[in-house]
Amino acid sequence: MNLEEYRTVFAVTSLLLTLIVAAPIIRMLIPIPTQTEQFSELWILGPDHTARDHPFNVRVNETHRIFVGVGNHMGYPAYYMVLVKFRNRTQPLPDSLSSMPSPLPPIYEFRAFISDGATWEAPLNFAFLEVSRLGDSFLVRQMSINDVVFSVNCTSDWDSEISGFYYQLFLELYLYDTLLHEFRYENRFVGIWLNATT
Amino acid sequence: MPTYRSFLIFTVLFALALSVFPFEACAADAEEAALAIERAEGIMFSCYQVVLETESAGEEVSVLLARLNEAGVLLAQARVSYGVGDFNGAARFADLCYETGVEVRHEAYDLRHLAVEEATQRFRWTLIGSIVGVTIIVCASFVSWLTFKRYYYRRILAMKPEVVSGES
Repeated sequence: MNLEEYRTVFAVTSLLLTLIVAAPIIRMLIPIPTQTEQFSELWILGPDHTARDHPFNVRVNETHRIFVGVGNHMGYPAYYMVLVKFRNRTQPLPDSLSSMPSPLPPIYEFRAFISDGATWEAPLNFAFLEVSRLGDSFLVRQMSINDVVFSVNCTSDWDSEISGFYYQLFLELYLYDTLLHEFRYENRFVGIWLNATT
Repeated sequence: MPTYRSFLIFTVLFALALSVFPFEACAADAEEAALAIERAEGIMFSCYQVVLETESAGEEVSVLLARLNEAGVLLAQARVSYGVGDFNGAARFADLCYETGVEVRHEAYDLRHLAVEEATQRFRWTLIGSIVGVTIIVCASFVSWLTFKRYYYRRILAMKPEVVSGES
């Protein structure tokens, strides 16, 4: 090697060492953006914390338990709201294509602050308290969720194909948007079908 | 007869008062409960904002989030109670949520202040360390290069021309 080549080796080595030593301050001044997908999870588990044995046949005054869970993968601590809604087969569900929640009024709600990468779970106990059957029509007048009684007045007609009076208890997930300063529907919902029996 | 008439008027007025006053009281309760819920919502949003800033400054916020969750449960209960017409319960839960929220916000402000101070200190020391480190490396490289160059020239000058046999 001649002197010019030695000079290049010295210069490159010095530059590398300088970059290594200055790396912490460079990292502080120029934050490296993390390219991870941001999303939220919403789930319902059965009474034994598994994805099976969800309640289906519901009799009057019979209390059932499920667990509501939310997972945060947004990259920051998130503030969530879960709305509980109740409907029959003809009433509208949320529209996934337009990211619109169901227009039905909520009957119960949960609030949760979840760290990034963490999950949150809460029990949801429900029961039909007052029902009536008139021929091919079934009416749930009152139901309770976590010991709070609600008037729902929801009618379901007999479905001969699936032999039952079907209702759905479903949950919608909302995330607090710090720019809009309000909750935004996260386009996530889950539900369980219930067959009402007297 | 006048006694009977005055009694009748009094009864009618009393009945009217009974029908109007409970309604007004109920309306006032509903309004108060709604205001309490709105106030609680406001404190929760502001708390969350401060917690986010604290987390961005590099501080651990899991304890604050746990406290906020307690307040969140109270707020949800307040809203549910309001929905079923239990305005007293709604106002009570909302006030409890507000009180918890105020405490959490106070703690979050303290923690954020601490986090910002720590971050400033960390930045200052990192900057000083980097400047010192870079200066040392630049000086050391320069001195090494001069030393090496001197050694290189000395070695070159010490070399003797080699005579290869068989060449013309």
